[in-house]
Amino acid sequence: MTATMHDVRPVGTRPTGRARAARRRSAKQKTLTAYAFLLPGLALFVALMVWPMVQALRMSLYHWNILPGAVSEFIAGDNYSRALHDPVFWRGFVNSAAYALMTVPTQMALGLLVAVALNRKVAGRTGWRTLYYLPVVTSWVVVSLVFKYLFNTDAGAVNWLLGVHIDWLGNRWPALVALSALGVWKGVGWSMLVFLAALQQVPRSLLEAAEVDGAGPARRFWHVTLPQLRAAMAFVTVMLVIGGFNVFISVFLMTGGGPAHQTETLLSYLYNQAFTFLDFGYGSAIAYLVTMLIFGLSLVQMKLFRYGEEDQ
Amino acid sequence: MKRALLYLGLALGALVTIGPFLVMLSTSFTGQSYVLQLPPRLFPEHPTWSNYSDVFGLDNFARYFLNSVLVAAGHVVLVLLLGSMMGYAFAHFDFPGKRLFFGLILGALMVPGVVLIVPQFLVARDLHMLDSRIGLVLFYVATQLAFITFLLRGFFASVPRELAEAMEVDGAGAWRVYRSLMLPLARPALGTAAIFSFLFSWDEFAWALTIINDPGKRTLPIAIALFQGQHSTAWGVVFAASTVAVVPVLVIFVIFQRYLVAGLQAGALKG
Amino acid sequence: MRSHRLRAAVAATAAACLLATGCSGDSGSSGATGGTKTIEFWHAYNEAGPETKTLNEVVIPAFQKAHPDIKVKAVALPYDDLHQKLLTSAAGGTLPCLVRSDIIWVPELAKLGVLVPMDSQLADFEAIKNKVYPGPLETNKYNGKYYGVPLDTNTRVLMYNAKTLASVGVTAPPATFDDLRALAGKLKAAGKSMAFADNGTSGWNLLPWIWSAGGDMLSPDGTKASGYLNSAASVAGVQLLVDLYRDKQVPAIITGSQGGVETSQGLAQGTYATILDGPWMFPIFEKQFPDFKLQTAKVPAGPGGSISVVGGEDLVMTASCKQKQAAATFVEYMLSEEAQLAMAKVGQMPVLSTLGSQLTSVQSYYGIFAEQLRTARPRPPHPQYTKMEDILSTEVQKAFKGQQSVQAALDSAARQIDAIIAAG
Repeated sequence: MTATMHDVRPVGTRPTGRARAARRRSAKQKTLTAYAFLLPGLALFVALMVWPMVQALRMSLYHWNILPGAVSEFIAGDNYSRALHDPVFWRGFVNSAAYALMTVPTQMALGLLVAVALNRKVAGRTGWRTLYYLPVVTSWVVVSLVFKYLFNTDAGAVNWLLGVHIDWLGNRWPALVALSALGVWKGVGWSMLVFLAALQQVPRSLLEAAEVDGAGPARRFWHVTLPQLRAAMAFVTVMLVIGGFNVFISVFLMTGGGPAHQTETLLSYLYNQAFTFLDFGYGSAIAYLVTMLIFGLSLVQMKLFRYGEEDQ
Repeated sequence: MKRALLYLGLALGALVTIGPFLVMLSTSFTGQSYVLQLPPRLFPEHPTWSNYSDVFGLDNFARYFLNSVLVAAGHVVLVLLLGSMMGYAFAHFDFPGKRLFFGLILGALMVPGVVLIVPQFLVARDLHMLDSRIGLVLFYVATQLAFITFLLRGFFASVPRELAEAMEVDGAGAWRVYRSLMLPLARPALGTAAIFSFLFSWDEFAWALTIINDPGKRTLPIAIALFQGQHSTAWGVVFAASTVAVVPVLVIFVIFQRYLVAGLQAGALKG
Repeated sequence: MRSHRLRAAVAATAAACLLATGCSGDSGSSGATGGTKTIEFWHAYNEAGPETKTLNEVVIPAFQKAHPDIKVKAVALPYDDLHQKLLTSAAGGTLPCLVRSDIIWVPELAKLGVLVPMDSQLADFEAIKNKVYPGPLETNKYNGKYYGVPLDTNTRVLMYNAKTLASVGVTAPPATFDDLRALAGKLKAAGKSMAFADNGTSGWNLLPWIWSAGGDMLSPDGTKASGYLNSAASVAGVQLLVDLYRDKQVPAIITGSQGGVETSQGLAQGTYATILDGPWMFPIFEKQFPDFKLQTAKVPAGPGGSISVVGGEDLVMTASCKQKQAAATFVEYMLSEEAQLAMAKVGQMPVLSTLGSQLTSVQSYYGIFAEQLRTARPRPPHPQYTKMEDILSTEVQKAFKGQQSVQAALDSAARQIDAIIAAG
């Protein structure tokens, strides 16, 4: 990801004397121009993203009193140690991680499967692709309500189809399965599309060369196509893991984190602490823990995939 | 034979993909007494329009729809403008602090949306942006700016510098290069960015739920969620409202979907 | 090039729309515009029934006709979201002028310091004090001041599906705990319906059973839960429900599961034989299930009698209200016979003692509620009630799931609630 940052250096011939001075002047001017282009966006970004991040750090060290003008009590790391000793926080962590574990590989496998299928000569490819992508563009709120309806215990289509009577949304693990089912259903189209785009960039000559060498379709896929998809794989994995820990709307609408906080995820718990119990300090501490977790995970993944180090 | 299997598989997957939409649609035409009865019916026994007339009669759905459109329009225009300017600057200029700024942008890509909601709420309070659509737009722009900048920077970086330099030799300023060379060239990437940012804004729930009080300013996602809260048992009405919200997006998507693929190929994958 | 300009123009228009609230057609929350004073009023009157409609089309127009200089902007929110919305808006400084608050939230809001005492705002508070029932009035009291006025009152009674009862040869609704157990036995054998349904384990849900069993939540002076919430009688009340649940005679929605059929839906469709609910449900049943005949009885009695829980709403004024006088005028109107009667027609039980005798002629179903209210009790008024309830609910849900005994659940809840009370 950082590769292209290095190759942005002034191009041109070796400058001499006057030309060098002119160059310096113009370099200065270019810097000013660049800042002018950056300024409006960066200002907004700093004011509404970076500054709140700093604010959150401050709040997380206080027993924060939200009422305007009220005095807050400085409690240093208490909010953090409270989180680390809070069983519901840990349950939220395990639930979020379980959600990511259930949804990420499934979405990638199914997405890749459909992408490979659609990368062949298929009649109506655009139609299929559009169809599989529909859930991605559909509002989370709407699909959460639809899945809540489908997973109804007594009269839901899921129990009816499976011929069982499971109280999906009333128990921790079944509820996580239901939430994950929604996550996968909604997400397959996205990874399909990324993989499809990547597949179409696999040089035909490579595949043909392999075929000439006598490699069958499976071998070709495994040894030629798949390595070419590494960047796409990395991109999809990183994004999906972030997305997995980002799960909020479906939890909020399908279980509300209940019953008895059993299905709370990190973000639903954070939101409830802040806006149901007005504990902004504790909410901010959880926010920081979540952010650090996701940062760490993303960095580890990028290292594993050696993402950004390769350039064809 | 193999081809038949391929199509069978694709059709099966499509059925699973479409199924929930069909349930939503069919329930929206089902009267309350017949909702949640077994076995589920794809075609309601006594189809009725009453849920739809309830949606428009009971509640101000036309207004919510308009709000969603306004917010999405404001968001898309602003985030594309600011994001393309930043993307261009990162792709074609060298300046002190570039690594720092770009690092910030990359970092922001990893911050989940709801994490910042608590401090952002207080910032919005200080800026008097609670309960306002401007508050929605500006925070949406800030949230998505990193992603859009990243996406467009990737595209701009692929435009040969010589093109820009040729224009500069002819005396064009940076602004003109950006306006008349870069933006037109970036059209497919801008299309992708527009779709992504439109969907983001159309779908966003947590922030809107938290800051909007005035029903006259509600956007569709919170209107539907609150609607479900009010009519928890009235699934027919809830799904009629949902259908009204979803169908236009699906139509728009089907029309413009080629941009998504084009854009993904052009920018998103070239990190 | 032209298309560029067109697009720019569209964008500019959209931006202008957003900046000037012009496109929305309404001005900010509360402020005087050209002589008319606007007061914003949040409530959770339902939209599934005719409550909101009556407020918007009967009550407010009548008020505005009498007071043309005041405009009431009523905002309907779902009950489940209102509490959170109130707290969030308290933090954001965006509360409206008036709120129709559940009686149990008033102490919490008062403690947050976002309300003004109503007794200092109304011209003649004494007059109002004298014409309302004392029970509902007391729910407004915090630290010796009245932070609101009662707006409506209610309680839960037993609602039953006579056809479902008849299907197992039962002709009368369960009048006692034992009747309910017997009914459950018969329904279980028949294997089609469940005896009782409720949608949670909050105080609103559990206390009728705890009180009827002879137990309580807190000590009479409200300082202690241990010894009361975990007494043998309290345990017996909760145990009844847990036993029925284990026998599959109470559906899983009582454990907070969101995946079940709602109580009203199940009652009308015959899957649930009985539920507990309030008077506002009558118009909703009438609209959603016109073919169903809703019937009522008192809450099944235990050793402690037939004791239900008092519900209802208060009208409170916020400190940030800019039009306190206009707001006070509206408060007074909402307590007039005219307004109270209008809302009484759609299931909102009036708080005026003067209307008591006419109640059943307004809606015949009020008879049973008036009777049940005679013995009904309020939930403990405490600023931290929401938190206590979360504890109670969470612990009892674990008992339903079999993760701990009812006794252990209530012991643990009592201990945690004691800690909350002690912390103030």
